[in-house]
Amino acid sequence: MGRFLLGRITGAGIVLLLKSFVIFALIGLMPGDPLDLMMNANPETTPEQMAHLRAMYGVDLPITQRYWTWLVAALQGDFGYSRIQHRPVLDIIIPALGNTLILTGAAFVLSTTLAVTLGTIAALKRGTWIDRIINLFAFAGISVPSFWLGLLMIYLFAVRLGWLPAGGMPRPEQGFGGMLAHLVMPVMTLVIVETGGLARYARAAMIEVLSQDYIRTARAKGLTDRRMLVRHALRNALIPVLTLVALQLGGLFSGAALTEAMFAWRGMGRLILEAILGNDYNLALVCLMFVTATILIANICADIAYTWLDPRISLGKRRR
Amino acid sequence: MHTVCGMTALLETTNLTVSFGDRAGWFRPAREVLAVRSASIALQAGEVLAVVGESGSGKTTLARALLGLVPIAAGEIRYDGCDTATMTAPQALAMRRSVQMVFQDPFGSLDPRLPVGAIIAEPLDIHGIGSPASRRARVAELLGLVGLAADAAGRYPHQFSGGQRQRIAFARALAPSPRVIIADEPLSALDVSIQSQMLNMAAELRARLGLAYLIISHDLAAVHHIADRVATMYLGRIVEVADVDELFTRPAHPYTAALLAAVPRIGAGKWMPGAALGGDIPSPLAPPTGCAFHPRCPAASSLCATATPEMRAIRAGHDVACHHPLGTA
Amino acid sequence: MTEASVSVWQLRWRRLARDRVALGALSVLVLLYGLCFSAAWIEVWLDVTGVDTDLMSRFDPIDARHWLGSDEAGRDEFTRILRGGQISLSIGLFAAIGSSFVGTVIGATAGYFRGRVDMVLMRFTDFMLAMPALPVLIILAAIDLTKLGFSQDFVRSGAAGYWRIVLIVTLLGWTTVARLVRAATLSLVEREFVLAARAQGASSLRILWVHVLPNAVTPIIVATTLRMGSVILTESALSFLGVGIQPPSTSWGSMLTNAQELMASNPLLAVYPGAAILMAVIAINFVGDGLQSAFDPRADPH
Repeated sequence: MGRFLLGRITGAGIVLLLKSFVIFALIGLMPGDPLDLMMNANPETTPEQMAHLRAMYGVDLPITQRYWTWLVAALQGDFGYSRIQHRPVLDIIIPALGNTLILTGAAFVLSTTLAVTLGTIAALKRGTWIDRIINLFAFAGISVPSFWLGLLMIYLFAVRLGWLPAGGMPRPEQGFGGMLAHLVMPVMTLVIVETGGLARYARAAMIEVLSQDYIRTARAKGLTDRRMLVRHALRNALIPVLTLVALQLGGLFSGAALTEAMFAWRGMGRLILEAILGNDYNLALVCLMFVTATILIANICADIAYTWLDPRISLGKRRR
Repeated sequence: MHTVCGMTALLETTNLTVSFGDRAGWFRPAREVLAVRSASIALQAGEVLAVVGESGSGKTTLARALLGLVPIAAGEIRYDGCDTATMTAPQALAMRRSVQMVFQDPFGSLDPRLPVGAIIAEPLDIHGIGSPASRRARVAELLGLVGLAADAAGRYPHQFSGGQRQRIAFARALAPSPRVIIADEPLSALDVSIQSQMLNMAAELRARLGLAYLIISHDLAAVHHIADRVATMYLGRIVEVADVDELFTRPAHPYTAALLAAVPRIGAGKWMPGAALGGDIPSPLAPPTGCAFHPRCPAASSLCATATPEMRAIRAGHDVACHHPLGTA
Repeated sequence: MTEASVSVWQLRWRRLARDRVALGALSVLVLLYGLCFSAAWIEVWLDVTGVDTDLMSRFDPIDARHWLGSDEAGRDEFTRILRGGQISLSIGLFAAIGSSFVGTVIGATAGYFRGRVDMVLMRFTDFMLAMPALPVLIILAAIDLTKLGFSQDFVRSGAAGYWRIVLIVTLLGWTTVARLVRAATLSLVEREFVLAARAQGASSLRILWVHVLPNAVTPIIVATTLRMGSVILTESALSFLGVGIQPPSTSWGSMLTNAQELMASNPLLAVYPGAAILMAVIAINFVGDGLQSAFDPRADPH
């Protein structure tokens, strides 16, 4: 176990390092460089000043050297400044992380609960109209563009009915009610989009378990208490579902990007979009590294959770 | 057609060793399993040699090594006297043409996505034998040889029964006019009634085409009627080789005797030593010391636990690897 | 067992034809593709244009000519949707096929050669999987191609914008197929019919082409179909954010960008493109689901 974890963490560290370089290089290929933007902001910069700045920022150095400089600073805890907001990157990221956790955490709990419930019902009522309707809803959720759904909701609930704020963050004095009002639409959007795939997965897992020998044996032996049967099957069906959920946890911070942008929710996803679209290189880079790290950590957690739930699988040993 | 490197047996192995290992992981040493240990067998042209043993004895691996499907760790394989390790590419290709295989599972050995005609013609395709038209004619001819209707060529494997599929596999093996057919448990997946049909067909084709067979089997009775010689294999080693009648009447290795005792035979009133073959074949990961059979052997002595017996002739054409061979006192 | 000569594909088609939902979805999809790619003729027939602006007929209501009215620049909304569909639907098709192609090559190579090749390719796949997909797509979509040595003219052309999207969605989308194909290949190369071909001295390419891929084609088809849906969603998101299809070209996603600003006055203009996306993607997903159950080997009569 210890060895396995060590191996996985080393592997994840290497992946993170490689990824930071790839993203660094890709961002370098985006239009303009920091100095072009600086010059646009201050047209009176002279060519001499420009040359000086170029040397100071190291813009003309090869990409590997620039990356090395960035990496050394980052490893010492210096993640640099955001060019647009003129603040240290970490000062921007931490509140954004908090906001994202509130939004996606709420959506996550709701959609997982809903998905497992719907999936179980569909599996038990397999082939009936209830199953078909749940299936249709699941497909609609998988197939709908989240930003369009958000757009329609804003029009309906904010513009036409005026029930909810169109977007943005609640002010502190609005309290819990304000928070709730601002959360309803983005959470609904995320829940609709995320529940579909998970519900279908839960249904398939449940059907698989229900068809297994021990359940059939239990039935044949006269175990007719339906609730007990369901509880028994559910526990086993949850294993693959929870693994998928754990894997999706990694997407928690970037997966909601479009929804956050639609509802002007100041979270990580929106921050990343703004940073990329606004050429805020350093901010984008650090945000993406954060997100990638969470994905890698979530994958390791999923592996561990899987072993806990299913003792047949032992870490690090693969069946031939 | 084929280069002669020196007059010997048609297909021969000397001290052949095949090992399976998994590569060492980051935090784990490599492990090694010797599936075949220093096995020497020789198949003469036109002869039928059966290799028998329990599952796990390494006989399938031996067959696959002969076909070049698994790498060999030590020893050599010679075809027509030429060492396969030093063969030129044309020689190797000629050997692949001349040594064909029939697999155990008639459901697994035919590609479900290909029509039977394409399956049978595959060796011709690979070796570039003939034109498309002549290949079609050859397929029809082969279907006739194995007793199937010519329209079978356009159908798919799943439309045939197990016995018919094994005939298809046989036709494929015959396609490039081989000299040797290696058959790995060719009958074990078939019903008894179909087994005898297949045996008759194999015997007839052998006579007609002058083929040599190397038959891998766990069932001594099944090979009794077709084999000329029998080799017994235990835990990767050849432990006894003799002509079929000699082996059936005077087995020298207690393991062979035990296998024979398990065979129901008409008129078998004689006492057979080692009738009870207790226990399971040991794991090849941790083979016993000395003679690998000694933990299950009724005649084992302290010598058997320490020294590995060498193959030696106890009679003309009868070799055995045992410290205490039966019937020699 | 020896019934009339029915190939596996005929059996599968029969099963699919019994699945009314999948068949209905397939019809919707065929109709959608057909309509979109006949946009030019429909424009002539209705005497409207989905391309040229006409400031005299902005926000026309729905009538016999303008089936869905006209937009803020006086373009006919219905035929504009069809024009946008040409881009969205064809990108879906090309990028899905591209992803499957790349995934098949990588998966089959990893599964066939195993060992170190497999390890390297699978680590690479994991690497791609752990990419935060949308942000990386946006960066790739925003990359300044002149920095990679392409000419200004090429970079500004509509074709470059189109194929750039196809390419980047392909580059990030092959991982699922790669894993499926690898798993299928790993089990197929152990099968005796592959050993039989190897014993003949068949080349690796021949074994992969004749024996492995035809037997792995089922999951590839299903995954490609489902992938089409997600590609259309991704393209629409990128275009909506302004880094996808650029004007004067149009896709369903970029139509929504404009419509968003007119939401308060002309909400219907924001409804149509989104509804088109939803309709296309849901139909694709139902077809994919139908294919999956029609291809299920457990239903094969063996």
